[in-house]
Amino acid sequence: MDILKVDKLIKRFGEFMAVDTVSFSIREGETVGLLGPNGAGKTTTIQMLLGITTPTSGIITYFGRDFEKHRPEILQKINFASAFNSLQGRVTVWENLLVFAHLYQIENPLPVIKKLVSRFEMDDLVHKRYWDMSTGQRTRANFIKALLNDPKIILMDEPTASLDPDIADKTLTFIEELRKERAITILFTSHNMSEVARICDRVIFLDKGKIVAQDTPLGLTKRIQVAQLRLTFNDNKDAITAYVKEQGLNFRFDGEHVVYITTEETALPKIIFGLSKIGIWMTDIEVKKPTLEHVFLQIARGEPYVFE
Amino acid sequence: MHMARHSYEIFNDLLLYPLFSIIVFGFMTLYLVGTTGKVVADQVLLGMILWQVLNITQYSIAVGCLWDVWSRNLTNIFITPITITEYLISYAITGTIKALIVITLASILSLFVFHLNILSMGIVNLFFIVLNLAVFGFSFGVMMLGLIFRYGTKIQAFAWGLLNVFQPLMAVIYPASILPEPFRTMSYLFAPTYAFEAMRKSMVGKNITVEIIYSFLYNLIFLIYAVLFFQYMFKKSKETGQFARLEG
Repeated sequence: MDILKVDKLIKRFGEFMAVDTVSFSIREGETVGLLGPNGAGKTTTIQMLLGITTPTSGIITYFGRDFEKHRPEILQKINFASAFNSLQGRVTVWENLLVFAHLYQIENPLPVIKKLVSRFEMDDLVHKRYWDMSTGQRTRANFIKALLNDPKIILMDEPTASLDPDIADKTLTFIEELRKERAITILFTSHNMSEVARICDRVIFLDKGKIVAQDTPLGLTKRIQVAQLRLTFNDNKDAITAYVKEQGLNFRFDGEHVVYITTEETALPKIIFGLSKIGIWMTDIEVKKPTLEHVFLQIARGEPYVFE
Repeated sequence: MHMARHSYEIFNDLLLYPLFSIIVFGFMTLYLVGTTGKVVADQVLLGMILWQVLNITQYSIAVGCLWDVWSRNLTNIFITPITITEYLISYAITGTIKALIVITLASILSLFVFHLNILSMGIVNLFFIVLNLAVFGFSFGVMMLGLIFRYGTKIQAFAWGLLNVFQPLMAVIYPASILPEPFRTMSYLFAPTYAFEAMRKSMVGKNITVEIIYSFLYNLIFLIYAVLFFQYMFKKSKETGQFARLEG
């Protein structure tokens, strides 16, 4: 079942087309990454999905219902977490959560809040003012808020932006645990490719407001067929040169003992075997495969990615 | 209400400054008693006390929303199932409660320090005057909120100051009749003018039915205008993306 369906979504700001005829759907339990360079339309898309920006045209459907027509009912079942939003800073986390529990019309809020507070190990912090907490603690508080109404889908707009690597890693671990515990559906925007590869089942690439690619992280990296082989050898540079030229390979030397060979990924074993057969003594072999980041760069630059 | 407990600014803006301005005017009325007489002096002080109803109700809405913007919490609120009507009504209720608290404290202060019994104008009269002023404050606050949503925090100073720009036209501490034209005519376009005129009449035992009816009528017109204006601004704000950028 599709939890979220977006059909021909368009957002135009004057002459500028921020989101250009975007269509996609997210199935129950799926984690989908919305990726793209700055200005690609990720945040505008999320804002329209949350109902805080009005689309120029297009239809957003949650749980099979039109968002525009069933807004309060749908908002009851979705939530949002972002590094760019906070809770009310001057009041305690507990007071914040209590207010949001009422806004989400949770019938018996105290046990729900207590359970989530314990789950995120914030029992001792919950009576501190939100502004007095560390970034990591605030992130946890934001996640508690995002889970208060037991949402079926959470939209996350760069939830790890501006977090230090340790806190960002912990945040991702929270998200991974959430997926295991609740089979929750997540739409996740980020610039960070490794994060997306780590948690997303599927990735939607946006560029200049349009979807330019949509696949699993693995499927996307397969779009770049080449890989780079870095070989460290003892000597016999001439023999290596002769071999790679004979094979018609793209190569470059880095000093007298290192060579970089760029070729199709499937050809790598054959090259290593061939060099070994002509008596090259290899002391180190390193294979650099394309990552989601390379796909991102390829799409953002609009030209095939070249290993440096 | 949680915010009011934790914020010194709100304590200052809603309690300290209004009470201090009443104290200042209170001393001024002690001076006026010797020159213009007790009635005029009391009217001036009562005008300042009732002005706080207007000020606090509009402030509670406009600045209440700004606190959510400053905390980057507005999106969190507007992605809950709360409707915009519920949002505004909640601010109207909290604004009225805050105004009543200040009025109560100011009344006690004026009774014991300046010998002015606010109830001397009659409880029913007081109720209708306060109600009219609170409705106008709410309408003004809603209009301010529309402007903030549409144009962002660059116009946030209006939340504190804009109402004061209109204060001279609302006949708070003097009758509208002393205003020169065209300001006098303009003054009668504001519902609070009738409420303050009613306050002055009730203090000398006159009937205020006409003033209260006019005040209600003008309030009704302004309330409808303010709500429509807000709805238009809110719609535009979401169309232009300004609403989402408020916290940026």
